[in-house]
Amino acid sequence: MEPTTSIVDELDDLVSYERGEIDRRIFSDQEIFDLEMKHIFGRAWLFLCHETQIPRRGDFFEAPMGTDNVLVVRQRDGSIKAFLNTCSHRGNAVCRAEEGNVRNFMCTYHGWTFGLDGELVGVPGKQMFYKDKLDLSEHPLRKVAQLDSYRGFVFATFDETAPPLGEYLGATGRLGLDLIAERGDMEAVPGVQKFVVKTNWKFTVDNVFDYYHPQITHMSAFAVGTLKAPTPDVMDGGALTEEGARLEVPFLPTDLHNLVMVGEYGHAISGPEQSALEENIGHVTPFEWRYKPETQARLGDVGSRVAGHPHIFPTAWVTAIGQLSLRVPRSPDETEIWWFSFRDRNATEEQKAAALSTQIHFFGPAGMLEQEDGENWSQSTLQTQGHKSREVPQLLKMGLNTVDIHRKDGLAFIEAPINEHGQMWTYLAWREWLRNPSWDELRERTVPGDRL
Amino acid sequence: MSTTEARLDSQDAVLGNVLLQHEVEQFYFHESGLLDEHRYAEWIALFTDDTHYFMPLRRTVPRRQLHREFTKPGEMAFFDETKELLATRVEKLNTGTAWAEDPPSRTRHLITNIRIAEQNGGELVVQSNFMLYRTRLKSDVDVWVGRRDDTLRRTSDGLAIARRFIYLDQTVLQSANLSNFF
Repeated sequence: MEPTTSIVDELDDLVSYERGEIDRRIFSDQEIFDLEMKHIFGRAWLFLCHETQIPRRGDFFEAPMGTDNVLVVRQRDGSIKAFLNTCSHRGNAVCRAEEGNVRNFMCTYHGWTFGLDGELVGVPGKQMFYKDKLDLSEHPLRKVAQLDSYRGFVFATFDETAPPLGEYLGATGRLGLDLIAERGDMEAVPGVQKFVVKTNWKFTVDNVFDYYHPQITHMSAFAVGTLKAPTPDVMDGGALTEEGARLEVPFLPTDLHNLVMVGEYGHAISGPEQSALEENIGHVTPFEWRYKPETQARLGDVGSRVAGHPHIFPTAWVTAIGQLSLRVPRSPDETEIWWFSFRDRNATEEQKAAALSTQIHFFGPAGMLEQEDGENWSQSTLQTQGHKSREVPQLLKMGLNTVDIHRKDGLAFIEAPINEHGQMWTYLAWREWLRNPSWDELRERTVPGDRL
Repeated sequence: MSTTEARLDSQDAVLGNVLLQHEVEQFYFHESGLLDEHRYAEWIALFTDDTHYFMPLRRTVPRRQLHREFTKPGEMAFFDETKELLATRVEKLNTGTAWAEDPPSRTRHLITNIRIAEQNGGELVVQSNFMLYRTRLKSDVDVWVGRRDDTLRRTSDGLAIARRFIYLDQTVLQSANLSNFF
């Protein structure tokens, strides 16, 4: 019998740096998705929630870890634990609510009861039916392997051999979270927007680094002033309307000055330089928090030049307006998007209201920007399912192999106009994760080289 | 007052309520038609200048914590609009480059169970149920069902919406966007 072939044997071809091409099958193949759940979401440190979402003992928040769901719970001693939301008896969810406050979790199937620490503390019929032969200590809720916080952001991993969180995040990942934490005494705004897009999760991640799309996808948001409209001297043609008219694409001055950072394990940052952004907006008022001496020192010379779009591998995007967007894979062609929004406790009521209004009106399903994104991604995903359409490669050729990688403060960075380096870096790292190497090997293989 | 007069007064009150109910229903049916026909400029004119259009987030919570089910103004929401912000959304739809609605969605607003809960001088507090059915492209279908709590104000141009709070019957929103109005 012929050995069965696996799409994984073709990994080198699925993501080709040499050609700048991606095989579309990675966006719809069930085997790939199952391996992603096992080798990426089963091992990586994943963002769960912010500490301020669960301030009091007994507060909980149900968070996704890949296709699993965990309860993140504030303990009696103030620490935080997380465990799978599945009863050790028949598997029923021991908690049906998304968030709240409890003294313990009681399974509504047979009444097995678990403490805030996940330990089994009560079993109906323990004497009468189990004849006292059930050792409760052997059947707690299954805990995550490691849980830790970085500046209030709670992460966990199912892999006990994973490196510590700080090391996993590296300089690039930490910088991403610093760009929220440095804004003030940050707390989560009550309410996490959650919605479903019929797309593969990797399209949503790809888009984080994509500064090529706003001028077209979000053209209407520029037109009504949600985004600062570009000056007319950076127009570049190339697009033609359906009626044959030349569509002047209004590129921004910031589009010529982008900063890319690539880090171990697949973290990346890509977006405009802060100075270019301030020049385009014409004032620095929204960015005053950046100019505190301690913040400048924390971010460093290169880090303080970043205006946007850090991404913590595999699915946590830090926006430029104090939000974290988590992309939750549910199936090869379905992804939930969860928006966590933050505010400075010490801001005035007017400042808080203005920041919240920006967050509501930029992103989320009704956001003036994000309204337009979902259909691009769902249509792109749909085309990866066509028998012939999926043979057409996905292109990542912009700027490919044209730039040197520089190093400072532990960061590996690139200066370039709009490019696709961030996306390419993410897919290259994704390829290495799928080979399921040891942590040391994974780190070694995702150390940036001298060129990208 | 004779029993006959009392009966006539009572009938007048009933008739008054019927006429008011009819007026409010006709207002909503007119409004729904404007939305389904993409006549957004006329739709936005139905709101007062000080209007507040708000769609909170909804969360699955236990019965004993139902007071925490919806977010409140000042917290995260899907819509939190002044008249000016609503007008910007309308303006966006009219740019010709709002791709989420081009090709346009086909929508049908069904408004039912209209209850006039309060009458305070020139203002009515009205609750209604809605179903918004949307199809897009070849086979995309979205359905949103929920309740609207409106404050309708009498103006020289007729009724106007001074406040609209929209409570969706979904927690994790089952659609890729909210590019239509409720």
